[in-house]
Amino acid sequence: MSWDVIARQDWALTVGERSTKGLLGLLGFVIVVTAYVYPVSGPGPHTTGRFAGAVHGSLTTLVPIVGVLLGYNAVVSERESGALRLSLSLPHSRADVVFGKFLGRVGVVTATLVASLAVAGFLVVYPFGELEAFRYLAFVGFTVWFGGVWTGIGIATSIAAATKRRALVLALFVFFVFVMVWDTVDSGVTLALNFVGLVDGALPDPLQFYFGLEPGRVFGRLTDGFVDPSATVDGAWYLSEWVALVLFVLWLVGPLGLAYRRFARGDLS
Amino acid sequence: MTAIEANEVSKRYGTVVALDRVDLTVAEGEIFGFLGPNGAGKSTFINVLLDFVSPSDGSVEIFGHDCHAEGVAARKRIGVLPEGYSVFERRTGRQHLEYAIRSKEADDDPAEILDRVGLDPTDAEREASDYSKGMAQRLVLGMALVGEPDLLLLDEPTTGLDPNGAAEMRDIIREENERGATVFFSSHILEQVEAVCDRVGILQGGELVAVDTIEGLRESLGGGTKLVITVDHMANGTLASVREIQGVETAVEREESTLEVTCTNDAKMDILVELHDAGVDVVNFRTEEASLEDMFIEYTGTGR
Repeated sequence: MSWDVIARQDWALTVGERSTKGLLGLLGFVIVVTAYVYPVSGPGPHTTGRFAGAVHGSLTTLVPIVGVLLGYNAVVSERESGALRLSLSLPHSRADVVFGKFLGRVGVVTATLVASLAVAGFLVVYPFGELEAFRYLAFVGFTVWFGGVWTGIGIATSIAAATKRRALVLALFVFFVFVMVWDTVDSGVTLALNFVGLVDGALPDPLQFYFGLEPGRVFGRLTDGFVDPSATVDGAWYLSEWVALVLFVLWLVGPLGLAYRRFARGDLS
Repeated sequence: MTAIEANEVSKRYGTVVALDRVDLTVAEGEIFGFLGPNGAGKSTFINVLLDFVSPSDGSVEIFGHDCHAEGVAARKRIGVLPEGYSVFERRTGRQHLEYAIRSKEADDDPAEILDRVGLDPTDAEREASDYSKGMAQRLVLGMALVGEPDLLLLDEPTTGLDPNGAAEMRDIIREENERGATVFFSSHILEQVEAVCDRVGILQGGELVAVDTIEGLRESLGGGTKLVITVDHMANGTLASVREIQGVETAVEREESTLEVTCTNDAKMDILVELHDAGVDVVNFRTEEASLEDMFIEYTGTGR
């Protein structure tokens, strides 16, 4: 159990980096500004629960890019330079390295998200808003988890690829597929099926489930189901927020687990 | 208890054989030199010990722990100076040592170790990525010394060090050995191995071609004596008749009146008698042991 040593060093390294400060600063800034604008931007009631629904849109774009950019070089840059050899010469296993790096980076993202959501919550509640403490805590929890999912995807590319450049390409590819083009493909398929007359309106449930697998949509269903009182989740049982909870866990464990298996077996030189 | 035990270790990369059924036992407390020309497979073997690569066949154990299956346990008791490393970015020398100390759950004083490896305190506060190769080498040696390891694994430890630094490195190796540590180090530089090692293994093309003490290697060369004879004058045909003597391998005239003859121990007297019979007066003669370099060339056919 020596991942804590690695996590501590990685935290210090990550926090000290200027590009990290920029990325995290942007994330915090957007969350706080959204909260600042939210009470004056629409009709009431203004609650933290409804705020979650409002900020969710920018989070599903920003958190993934911050996560993959923070994660992609976690291991591979040290592997390329040879610093990984120093760590693995010490009594650390490869699992310790991966888990330590994951905790270090996720820690940094978590601290940013928790701090800015705390400030945001205050801005929403004061002076006229309403705090739904339990729901808001759940939202902070889901957001942090979502940050973990994307940082994990970034780190997964970092341990699967042999060079930093390949890791970056892979990480950005995943980001673009899920965050940039996913919705477009969904709309395209819906339009096409409507056009040929196979469906009328929305997609059938199984297809909805398939498109709903994307982490941002899973996060959205959780927010709709558990946090935002103005939203509802409907459809077949496998479209429910409870299944989304399971999917959320899989998204954290799956990519890292698969990439780790490859990393654990392979030669380092 | 054996420090390192390798059983039939092979490593293949596609059709290239980097290690070919290497069998090796290093006993606790010895200084073992792992010798071979560049590309002989020394680093591959050490990479297998550190579980950076897994062997295609066979297994290696460090203090009874399999290097692949129980890698962390195997690395608990060792200090490593690996090859092809680089220091961490944006971390000072001192922070590197603190990282090693925490990782090994040791309680060493960083200042003490810095002093031992010859890094001064102001350097220790600088980022290690600005260090010269020699300073980085000293720093990582320092990391290896953390926690009084039972085995030191040093891959080409004198790379980047000046002659002074290399001598200090040898002193540290001896000190650690006197403390009770086993030392295993690889080198392609013969003098270093000759200077400190109890035993050496010579690796050539992935095969371990010899494992012995230095004396043992000398003996296995059939005496391997070099005779340097100064005479008053050289008569015609003397050289030829010396070459005829049984046991003489080579005989050459070095300067005006100096002969260099390599031969077996038994042939020494015969040579002197032959010279006397030819009417050549021997002014002076001395014997030299064949150097490890001669042996090395003999074994590997390459030199360095």
